[in-house]
This record gives sequence, structure tokens and C-alpha cells, in this order.
Amino acid sequence: MLSALILIPFIGAGLLAVLPNRFSSSQVKWVAIAIASLAFVVNIIVGYQFDPNQISFQFEEVIPWIDGIGFNYHLGIDGLSLSLLFLNSFLTVLALMSSDRDLPRPRLYYALMLLINVGVSGAFIAQDLLLFFLFYELEIIPLYLLIAIWGGKRRAYAATKFLIYTAVSGILILAAFLGIAFLSGANTFDYETLRSAGLPFEIQLVLLIALLIGFGIKIPVFPFHTWLPDAHVEASTPVSMLLAGVLLKLGTYGLLRFGLGLFLEAWSYLAPWLAVAAAISALYGASCAIAQQDMKKVVAYSSIGHMAFILLSLAATTRLSIIATICQTIAHGLISALLFFLVGVVYKKTGSRDVNQLRGLLNPERGLPVTGSLTILAAMASAGIPGMVGFVAEFLVFRGSFPIFPIPTLFCMVGTGLTAVYFLLMINRVFFGRLSDMVTYLPPVGWGDRVPAIALSIIIFILGIQPNWMVRWSEAQVGRLIAPETVAQVTVLNPKGD
Amino acid sequence: MDVVTLASQLNAGTIIPEGIVTLTLLVVLVGDLIAGRKSASWLPYVAIVGLLGAIAALFVQWNGTSDTIAFLGAFNGDALSIVFRGIVVLSTIITVLVSISYVRQSGTSLSEFLSILLAATIGGMFLCGASELVTVFIALETLSIASYLMTGYTKGDVRSNEAALKYLLIGAASSAVFLYGASLLYGLAGGETQLDRIGIALSQIETPAIAPVVALVFVICGIAFKLSAAPFHQWTPDVYEGSPTPVVAFLSVGSKAAGFAFAVRMLVTAFGSLTEQWHFIFAALAVLSMILGNAVALAQTSMKRLLAYSSIAQAGFVLIGLIAGTESGYASVIFYLFAYLFMNLGGFACVILFSLRTGTDRISDYAGLYQKDPLLTLTLSICLLSLGGIPPFVGFFGKIYLFWAGWQAELYGLVLLGLITSVISIYYYIRVVKMMVVKEPHEMSETVKNYPEVSWNLPGMRPLQVGIVLALVATSLVGILANPPIDLAKASVQRSPILQASISPAKEVAVSRFAPVQSSEFRVQN
Repeated sequence: MLSALILIPFIGAGLLAVLPNRFSSSQVKWVAIAIASLAFVVNIIVGYQFDPNQISFQFEEVIPWIDGIGFNYHLGIDGLSLSLLFLNSFLTVLALMSSDRDLPRPRLYYALMLLINVGVSGAFIAQDLLLFFLFYELEIIPLYLLIAIWGGKRRAYAATKFLIYTAVSGILILAAFLGIAFLSGANTFDYETLRSAGLPFEIQLVLLIALLIGFGIKIPVFPFHTWLPDAHVEASTPVSMLLAGVLLKLGTYGLLRFGLGLFLEAWSYLAPWLAVAAAISALYGASCAIAQQDMKKVVAYSSIGHMAFILLSLAATTRLSIIATICQTIAHGLISALLFFLVGVVYKKTGSRDVNQLRGLLNPERGLPVTGSLTILAAMASAGIPGMVGFVAEFLVFRGSFPIFPIPTLFCMVGTGLTAVYFLLMINRVFFGRLSDMVTYLPPVGWGDRVPAIALSIIIFILGIQPNWMVRWSEAQVGRLIAPETVAQVTVLNPKGD
Repeated sequence: MDVVTLASQLNAGTIIPEGIVTLTLLVVLVGDLIAGRKSASWLPYVAIVGLLGAIAALFVQWNGTSDTIAFLGAFNGDALSIVFRGIVVLSTIITVLVSISYVRQSGTSLSEFLSILLAATIGGMFLCGASELVTVFIALETLSIASYLMTGYTKGDVRSNEAALKYLLIGAASSAVFLYGASLLYGLAGGETQLDRIGIALSQIETPAIAPVVALVFVICGIAFKLSAAPFHQWTPDVYEGSPTPVVAFLSVGSKAAGFAFAVRMLVTAFGSLTEQWHFIFAALAVLSMILGNAVALAQTSMKRLLAYSSIAQAGFVLIGLIAGTESGYASVIFYLFAYLFMNLGGFACVILFSLRTGTDRISDYAGLYQKDPLLTLTLSICLLSLGGIPPFVGFFGKIYLFWAGWQAELYGLVLLGLITSVISIYYYIRVVKMMVVKEPHEMSETVKNYPEVSWNLPGMRPLQVGIVLALVATSLVGILANPPIDLAKASVQRSPILQASISPAKEVAVSRFAPVQSSEFRVQN
């Protein structure tokens, strides 16, 4: 069952790559959407059959891959991965839908998009450390090519920067994984086995720092973030949606699953520093976003700021804050994908993303009224206006983290406040006022450019009103991750407390 | 000594694979003499059939008797040598496949080329099993001299002549150094030439003596030249750039594999008592090779020079497994060479095809190739990405296994360096991929604009296509089906007595000792 989630897009990608030339770009697009939807349907079936009260892994599949090094093809899902899996399949379908209809070299493009889906889905369901690493690395080359071929003017630079950063993050993660597999003497890469390995504290610390930097590059956390604005600005809209929506989540998921899951003692020792790093990252992202002139850069820096909230609540490591992590992951995935999509529509219709050039796009006759309204809505969601998913997530983050790390949480709250500032600045310039003479007679926005945005907005509302649907799979699992007895052990080891 | 004992001591059945290759060599030579120029159409297939026969013979030996010592101890056909001989023969088969059209286009005689290539193969095969100094030297020289001849094979090309001369001079010098080391060993061991007896003799030298170390250094010079490990790599870029590309393909895989087999046997049997010293020297070689190979490759503009530096770097990676000196260490060397065989030869096959169609090797000339030749682009991309260690290709698994073995043997520094330099390597491999795939049609290079219509019907093109597809399939799939080859590699290590004797018990103890220590520490903390 879980293999289908990997195999469907994988075989689909192969199929698309060898599709005959006579298929037009939009036909290829529909084939790709069909394949991604199929994977999404499988995902729904998995979600339907998933038993939220069972805390061990479900739908497990184990096939020995390389006996010599204890490497198994071991898939399984629990509450932590299921919601992310949904996010991934859903956003892939939307990203494919929002791809240009007459894109050059469509077969390669859609094949690579599906390969990214393979990599991300695989990483979320891999229960073997090496298998996770394999899928984590698998997504690098397709994304590199997607940025380098279908990107903007400085795409070569941005793609290479992305490649180098991510490759470095990959080797740090691999080094940490090799380290834990040997030093525990377990001679296996199986997640469950290594969880009970119990390494000495110093070794945990070293390995965890490697993991933190590795995944910190991916999230990204200040000061490892510089690849992200470049990659976002140069990538095309669907790629940006996937990058912000799911690829960055590999970083936080990795930290939650492997950092916190495997090195709980060292994690709680380093947690105060992580909270400080999160606060710095949140403030840095927000203040950079204020200064940007490019709409996409505003969204990119806001992404850095909002991903920092996930790190904050991860650092707090309470039951509530881990649930908040999952909520914020989903919320940010949906909202940032929506924002990138809308910025993409604006760019497509006006040919510019410069806030100094654009003006008055909300004009009901000649402007982009629906897109404009949806952007305002997305900005509100991102700023945490009640009624939408962003509010629930951020409230939980701050509620969960405040008792543990009051000062960093306060700083992060300031970051949320600044979200409203920079998005209002952007909206004020771009959508309000008189329509600029430079951008009169915009091409009409078709339904193809509205459906993904409306779908995302509806989900954002529904989950905002009924957040329980987001976390009902995860609650049991979270309890297990920071089980009471381990927490007690941590406090004994670290008598100062956090 | 009566005839029966002599026959059993000769145990000539061990070298049947070599015999088959020699016979093939004779058939190729005589066939050419009888049939003349026309023979070029069928001789390559004779060679391939002969080489496949050798593989079959190796397979029989793998399942065959346990009596592996032949020729009074001069040759050891143990499982280790069988695996390495298999790699050498496989690399020759692919080289033959990809060389037919190249040699034909260069206007030289194909059968002579095949004869020299087969001679080099025989040398390489003997080197994999040679366990006596004289045999070692003869095998080494057979391989080397045949290689010199091949590098200068396109006589009309000035660069080829230059490459041959450079290779000859540096090769002769390193052979001489090796011979000097061998003579020291001969003296130190009191007139013994068999490697195992030399090993025993050296281990009996009690006082710290300088002579064995000098001998070791000299021998390593000879080995490192064959492996093209830095700082003995200087010949590599020039020779790779100048020589005919199929020759480079063989040198980079077949000759290197033979060199590794030779290194394992020589160091493990003869220098067993100096393990610390040779580990130290090889660690230095590995560090230098990884750094230098990967760093200098960044600046290359010629595809063949890029592959030359990449092969230096790859040798550095493989050395990690050798230094680990554990069962999985040696097994990872074998598996990586097996993986390297396909990905590197696949890469070279693509370079050959491209230069056949366009006559150039410059990386910038590959710009926009995606539009004109998808198969070539796909194969070259996958082979290069695999060399860079990108999953799910075979190179990823090879590297993981090597690093795993290295880490297990507590070579943390080397493994970390390997990880870091493999990131650098991704950068230069992807540069080529980017050139081919990313460039827009209007950025296409002049060469690619004039790219001929893709056609496989020209003479010699079908085998090249077979070679490319074979490499493509193997590079993509062997990784996913990695278990059988790794089991094979491990079995070959387990079945080779010389390795079993050397796998240091100390290391196993070190690993197992760690577990109780850590658990007791943990108890204290609790």
C-alpha cells in the first residue's frame, strides 16, 4: 500500500519521459495530474484505513535491501507522517495544475515534478535511516533541474547554490546517521531499533549538532538560509509552491523524527539554544521581508520567519508544542503555497513583481479583483487572523512554547506581528490605490488560475474552523515520542531544568 | 619429485581463464593474418566470445576446488583473484564493444588493437593472482607495456604519441622503483620470492629496521602509479587527454582494478607485519587523491581531463575500503570497483560516441545535446550522477558501503573527508549534466547545432550502442539490486585465506569492546 505512494509517481515519471512527441504540452500536463491524483487517492485510502489510536507504525513493509550493512526497505506510517503525506500529495496535484499550459519541454518538466513527489513521499514514510537519506537525496537533482531549466534570469546561480547547500546538508545528515548506527553497536539503520539505542550523552550531542545543521540548512534557519530567497525568486511558481509547501518540511520533519526522536537527552540540553535560534530566525525573516521590493522575496523571507515557529515549538518539546509543530507545518505549507501561487498569477498577468511598479491591482474592472482578494485573505491567514488555520497553528505554537521559553516566544510573537506589517505594506502598494498606467488592460484571469487558489483557501478556512482534523491522527503518536518516563529521565539528567 | 606431484603442484587448471584469453589472442592474430583486412568485421566478436568464455571459466572456478595455489606458489587463484579477474575481463569486454567504431574511424588496424588489448588483459589477470615477486613483475610489465602501446595506438595523432611517451617514461620509472623495492624484499627475506614467505621473514625482523619500510615505500610507488593515486597521478590527465578514448576507458577501470587486486595481495601477504605503516601511507594517498582529484576536476574544460581527475578522486574513495582492512572494507572495495566498472565505462562510451559524431571532447561543446541525442544525454547524465553518488544509482550504494566500512573501522577523518569531497564532486559532475540538459536551444553549441542525424547503422555502431545500453541499465539497476553483488564480494573475502588471516582481530575487539563501555556509562548516568 505504501509502496504504491512511491511507485505510482515513479512509474508515472518514467511513463511521461517516454511519452511520444505528438502529445501537446497541455495533454502531458493532464496525464501528470491524473497520475498525481491517483497517488492522492491512494493517500486518502491510507488515511481512511489508518487507526489513530494505534501508536506503532502501520502499513509496514519490510524488504531486506543490503543485508551486509543492515539496510532495509522499511516503510511505515504513524501519526507524524500521515498529515505531511497528505500535504505532499495535495500540493503536488495543485502545483501540477498551476503549471503553464504551453510550457517548453513538458515531458521532462512533469517527470521531474513527479520525481520530487517520489522523494518527499518516500522520505515521510521511510522507517530506515538510510532509506530516508536516499529519498532525501533523490529530490535534489530534480529540483536543481527544475530551477535551472524553467527558472528566471539568474536561475543557474540559484540552482547551483541550492544544490551545494542541500548536498552539504545531506552529508551532515549521512554522517550523523552513520554515527548513530555504529556507535550504538546496533549494526542496523532501522529507526525503531536505534530509538532504543541509548547512546552516551556526549556522543548524542555531537551527532545531534550534525543533524541540526543538516536539517537547519533545509528548514532554513538563520544563518544557513541564504539559498532560499534565491531559489524561490528564480524558481517558477509551481516549483516555489512545492519548495515552500513540502520540501522545507523535510527539514522540520527530520528534526522531529530523527533529532528529537533519537537524541531526546541531547535535544533537551540544546533546546534553549534552538529556541534562541528560532527567535533570531523569526525576527530576521520578518525584518528582511519588510525591506523587500520583490513580492516573491517578501513571501520567501516570510517563509523563513514562519518556519522558525516550527523550530521554536520543536524546541519546547511538550505534548502541546509538538502538536503545534504539526499544525504549523500544515498551516505554513498551505498558506505559503497559496501566497506563492497568487504572486505567480500577478507576475503572469502583469509581468512584474516589483512593489514599486505595481499599483491598484484590486481594480474591479481592469485589475485582478479575485486574485487580489485572495491575496489579502492569504496575508491575513499568514498573519494569524482568527478563523483560519494560521491562527490555530500560531496560537498553539505560542501557547505550547511560552511556559518553557518565555523570552524567545515573546520575540517570535513580535515576528508574527511583523507579518501583518510586511504583508500590509505589500498589499497596500500592489493592490490598493489607482491602477498604474503601465499595467492597463491586463489579460483576464481564467479559471485555471483561480481553482488552485480557491481550493487552498477553502482548506485554510475549514482547518481553521475544525483544527481537530489536522491533528487527530497525531495525538497518540506525540505522546509516545515524548513518553512520560523519558521526560522524567531527561529532567534527572539535566537537573537545571529548561 | 615425480610427475604426479609436480602436476599437482603446478595445478595448471587454475589459469584456464588466462589460457582462454591467450587462445583468443592467438586466434585474433592468426585470423587477421589469414583473412586480412576483411577480418575486422568478425574479429571483435571472436574476442568477445573468448572473453565471455574466460568469464565462464572463472565462474566454474568460483564453484570449483579449494586448491588454488598454482605453479609452486607463483599464482594464487583464490576467490579474491577470481572476482578481480572477472572485473578486468568485464571491463575488457565493454572496452571492445565501444572501441570498434573508434578504431575504425581512426584508420588503424582493429585486429592489432584487439591483440594488444587482450595482452593487457592477460597481464591484468595474472596480476590479480600473482603471489611471487617475479610473476608479479612480469604480469605488471605485460600490463604496462601493452598499455604504453595502446596509448600511442593512433600513430597519426601527435597528442597520442605525446601521451604514449609520457606514460612510458613515468611508467618505466615507477617500474624501476618497484623493482628496486622488490630486490630489497628479496634480500631481506633471505632469497625468498614468494609473498607469503617474505611476509613471514619480515615479521621475524625484531628490531625496528628501516629497510622493510623503504621496501614498502618503493613497492607502494609502483602500486600507486597503477592506481593513479595522488601524488603519483601526474601522468593521468595528459595520458587520458591524448590517448584514444577506448584505451583510457580500459586504463581507468581494468588496469586500475588489477592494480587494486595487486595492492591487496602484496600488502596483506608480504607486509602483514607493517600494517600500521602501509595504512598510514595509504591514508595519506587517499587524502591527497580525494582532495586533489576533486578540487582540480572543478577547473577542467575537457571532458577527458575531467574524467581523469575524477578517476584519481575515485581511487581515493576506494582506498578508504582498503585501509579499513576489515571484511566489509575489502568487500566494499570489490563492490565499488564493480559499480565503477559500469558507471565509468558508460561515461567513456558516451564520450567516445560524442567525439565520433562531432570530433571534440570540450565540455562546452556538449551544450544543448538534450535536443539532439536524448539517449546519449540520459546515459552520460546517469553515469556522471552515479559517479557523484546520487541515489538511486549504483554509485550511491557503492559509496555508502565504502563509507560504512570506513566508519565501522573508525576511520572517521577519512570518511568525513570523503563525504565532503563527494559534495565537491557532485558540483563538477552536474556541470556537465547542466551543460547538456539545461541549455536552451538558442544556447546550443556550434558543434551540437551541426550534430549528425542519430543513426546506429554505421559499421561498429551497434556494439557501441549495446555497450551504452548495458552500462545504462547496470548503472540504474545494480544499485536497486545491490544485495547479490555485495554478497558475492563478501563471499570472495570470506573465502580468501590471505584476507581472513589479515583481517585484524584487534579491530573486531575494538568494536565489540565499545558496547559494554557505553552501557556502563549509561547506567552511571541513570
